[in-house]
Amino acid sequence: MDVFIQIVASGLTLGAMYAVATVGLSLVYGSLNMLNMAHGAILTLGGYLCYAGIQHLGLHPALALAGAAALCAVVGLLIYLGAALPLLRAEGFETNIFIATIGIGSILENLMLKGFGPYPIPQPLAVPGHVVLGNVHVPLQNLFILGVAVVLMAAVAFVLERTRTGRAIRATSMNREAAQLMGVRVGRVYAQVLAVSGALAAVSGVMISSIATLSPVMGGDPMLKAFIVCVVAGLGNVYGAVVAAIVLGLLEAATQYILGVRWSFATLLLIVILVLIWRPYGLFGRTQVVRL
Amino acid sequence: MTPVKRDILIGLVLVAAACALPFLLPGRYIVTQATLFFVWAVVVVQWNLVLGVGGIFSLAQMALFATGAYATAMMGFYWKVPMLAAIPLAGVVAVAIGMLIGLACLRLRGPYVALLTLAIAQVMYVLIVNDTACFTSTGGCMPLFGGVRGIGQFGDLGFRALMPKSWHVAHYFVALGLLVVAVAMSIVIIRGPLGLAFRALRDNPGYAVSRGISRFKYQLWIFAVSAFLTGIAGGFYAVQFRVVGPTVFSFQLLLFLIAMIVVGGLGTIWGPLLGAAVLMLADEGMKELSDYRNIGLGLLLVLFIILQPGGLVRLFSRKPKPAADAKTG
Repeated sequence: MDVFIQIVASGLTLGAMYAVATVGLSLVYGSLNMLNMAHGAILTLGGYLCYAGIQHLGLHPALALAGAAALCAVVGLLIYLGAALPLLRAEGFETNIFIATIGIGSILENLMLKGFGPYPIPQPLAVPGHVVLGNVHVPLQNLFILGVAVVLMAAVAFVLERTRTGRAIRATSMNREAAQLMGVRVGRVYAQVLAVSGALAAVSGVMISSIATLSPVMGGDPMLKAFIVCVVAGLGNVYGAVVAAIVLGLLEAATQYILGVRWSFATLLLIVILVLIWRPYGLFGRTQVVRL
Repeated sequence: MTPVKRDILIGLVLVAAACALPFLLPGRYIVTQATLFFVWAVVVVQWNLVLGVGGIFSLAQMALFATGAYATAMMGFYWKVPMLAAIPLAGVVAVAIGMLIGLACLRLRGPYVALLTLAIAQVMYVLIVNDTACFTSTGGCMPLFGGVRGIGQFGDLGFRALMPKSWHVAHYFVALGLLVVAVAMSIVIIRGPLGLAFRALRDNPGYAVSRGISRFKYQLWIFAVSAFLTGIAGGFYAVQFRVVGPTVFSFQLLLFLIAMIVVGGLGTIWGPLLGAAVLMLADEGMKELSDYRNIGLGLLLVLFIILQPGGLVRLFSRKPKPAADAKTG
C-alpha cells in the first residue's frame, strides 16, 4: 500500500509536469502543424530566468515565476516572427520549421551554457516540508507542482472553451482555410499560441528544475517525453495530451520502481511504438488516414 | 550531355582533385580532417536518400552510424574478428536495424517518424550510458557496450603496422573510396527507378499507387540501402579513431550533419557533398571561438532554411524550382 501511494504521488507529479510541457507543444502543432524543437530550450530558459530573478534580482518567487513566463512568451513570439512567419510563405513548412527550430534550440542552449555555465544549479523556488500519507512522506513541493499544473490546465481549458480567442484557436486547428475565410486572423492566432506555449514551457521548466537541478541540457529529456506524450495522444489533441501525460507519468513511476530507472525510458518508448503501430495517428488522434 | 554523364564527369573531376590533395598538402592534420570529411559526407549522402529522396523524416541515421561503429568494435573486441570482415558485417547489422526502424515507421507520417526515430536514438544512448554492470573484466570493469567510456582495442585495418609514417594517407584513400561508392549509389538511386518511384509518389500519390508503386516496399528498400553504407562508415570511423563511445549519439553531431544537408540542398546529388565541405570548413574557421561555435552552427542552419531553403546547389542550377531541378539536374 505504501509503495502504491509512493508510485501514485511521484507519478502524478511527473504527469503534471509533462502535461504542462506538452499542452504548449500540442497547441502549437494543432494550429500551425509545427513541431517546435526549441521547446526544450525555452523550458530550460524559463528555469534559469526564474533562478536569476530570485537569486540575482532578489525578486519574490511568484514574481520571478511570472517574469520568466512572460519573457519566454516573448521568446515564443520571436520564434513566430523570425522563423515561422517567413517559412509559412514557402513550401514544405512542416519540414523546414522542424529543422529551423532545432537550430534555434541549439542557439538558445549554447547561449545559456555561455551565460550560466555547464554546472547544475539548484532551483531556489522550492517549497519546504512534507505531508505524511500512511507511512509515506510526500513533499509539499510535489503537491505544489500538482496544484500549479491543475490551475494552469484549468486556465488553458477556460481560454480554449469560453473565450473568443480560444474559439479562434480551435477553429484554426480544425480547418485553417475555413477559419481564415470566416475572418479569423490566423496570423494572430499563431502568435498567441506560440506565446502561450512559451509561457507554459517556462513554468514547466521551473517545476522540473525544482525537483531536479538546473543545467543547460535539462530541457532535452522532458521535451522528448512531451513529444512522446503528444504522439501517443495524437499530435494536436490538447485534452488527450493531458490524459496521456498523466498516464505516462504514472507508468514511468511504476516502471522506475519495478524495473529500475535505467529501463523506464526504454519501456515508455516500447509502449509508444506499439501504440503507433496499432493506431498510427495516436490514441485520440483525428483519424484522417488516407488509404492509398 | 545527359544528367548522368554530367554527374559522372563532376565525380571524376572531384575524385582526381581528392587524389591529388594528400600530395599537395601532406600535413597530417589536413589529411586527417579530410578523412573525417569523407566519413561525414558518406553519412550525409546516404541520409539524403532517406530524407530528401524518400521524403521520410528519419533522424535515426546517426543511430545507424553508431550501430555500425559499435558492431565493428564489439566484433573486434569480443571475438577478435579481423576488421576487414567486421566492417562489412557491421554494414549488414546496420541494415537489419535500419529495416526494423523502417518497419516501425512504415505507417507513420512525417512528424511522427521524426519523433519516433529521435526517441529510438535517445533510448539507445541512454541504455548504453546507464549500463554500469560489468560484462568482462579484462583490463578493468567493462559493460557490454562499453558504457560511458566506450570500447577500444579492437584492432584496425593493418595500415598502422604496415606504414607507421603514413597510415593516415592510406585511411584517407579508404575513406575516399567509401565516398565514391556512396555517391555512385546516390546517383544510381536518384536517377534510377527508385528515385523515379519516389518522385511519382510525391508528385501524384494516387496515380502512382494505382500504377502499382508500393510506398511501403520502396521505403523499406531505401532504408536498407542507406543503412548499409552508413553502417560501414560507422565501422570505418571506429577504426580511424580506435575507440567508439556514446558521443556518436550527441545531438550536436546530429545538428552538424543535418545542417550539411540543408546548407547544401535537400534531395539533390551534389548538395549534401557541398554542404559537408562548407560546414567542415566553417567549423574549422570557428574553431578559435570554441564557445560560439555551436551558436554559429545553429545560426547558419536557421538562416539557410529561412533565406535559401533549396540550399547552395540552388545557386548553381538554372531551373528555379527544386522539383524541376531533380529532373534535369
